[in-house]
Amino acid sequence: MARIQTGIGELDKMLGGGFMEGDAVMVAGSAGTGKTILALQYLVNGITQFGDKGIYVTFEQLPDQIYRDAKNLGWDLREMEAENKLRLICTSPSLFLESGEGEHILDEPIKGVQPRRIVVDPLNHLAMFVEKDDLRKEAYRLIMYLKTKGLSSLVTWESTQMNGEFFSATDIGMSFLVDCVILLRHVEIKSSVRKALVVLKIRGSDHDKRLREFEITSKGIKLAAPFSEYEGIMSGSPRKSITDAFMEAFKKR
Amino acid sequence: MSTGKEILNRLLSSEIKGDLLVLFHKNPGLVDTVEGVARRIGRTQGAVETDLKDLVDLGILRRKRIGKSEAISLNRARDQEIQEIVANHIRSLKMGKGV
Repeated sequence: MARIQTGIGELDKMLGGGFMEGDAVMVAGSAGTGKTILALQYLVNGITQFGDKGIYVTFEQLPDQIYRDAKNLGWDLREMEAENKLRLICTSPSLFLESGEGEHILDEPIKGVQPRRIVVDPLNHLAMFVEKDDLRKEAYRLIMYLKTKGLSSLVTWESTQMNGEFFSATDIGMSFLVDCVILLRHVEIKSSVRKALVVLKIRGSDHDKRLREFEITSKGIKLAAPFSEYEGIMSGSPRKSITDAFMEAFKKR
Repeated sequence: MSTGKEILNRLLSSEIKGDLLVLFHKNPGLVDTVEGVARRIGRTQGAVETDLKDLVDLGILRRKRIGKSEAISLNRARDQEIQEIVANHIRSLKMGKGV
């Protein structure tokens, strides 16, 4: 099965070579964890490293801000659009949801750009325009539309949890719809906030299950070493593992 | 076919039209309902309808039916043409004044 590399070397290693082609990937995390940067990096690396064209769909954030923020990371999205390698689409969730009847809002850009990758950021903005029980149905419809078009999609999902339980019941329900789930979260260690990434699942493939620290650098996301010294990171209350705590206490003597 | 002077006068005829042009030029990938477009410049649907219609008549914006709604988006090709017509008109004015 062909893999779609993110172009972030360490992440691709964690994924066993990349996402499976045609799969739907969810990147979930609370505000400020780096979901949008990871999503953009997936598209930009696709264009610059692998020759894969892409489409980026956003609901609330205007493209103008995205062009600016991407430029700060060294990515000239306007130039990529001028070369017809990328298309940024900004629309209302309501219009997006109506796309099932007749022409889809993405039909024309897909024909025009011929992308291999697509990002929807964030998927849960659809929730503002549908009944709670319909969100999963609508998300399923969207994911199946993208799969039918043969696209490798990455959707972001904004979780509200800052500490403790990370996934709410809604989040868990949505995670069943996608083939791969990556979690990003803040962790407090020694009074400073750090960022952690974990691959929760990939259908039909093994993957690295360790929690990795990552940083947002001037060139995008960069993974660091696993949090091997700490336990309980996902709970929001990390503590030194027993072995490390023992070693530390031993050294003090 | 409108002249450069006529087009320029129409484009500069209202503040809302200016706000709409700035919105779509900065965000050429914007595709939204009239209500959504109005919200993005801090106005109501009723306030922008006339100016949106004029920009659609000029061909800078286009309307498209998506489901039960009507979507507004930038017509990039026509927008480029209009920018050239306006730029040529401004150049001719400068030359006429010996600037």
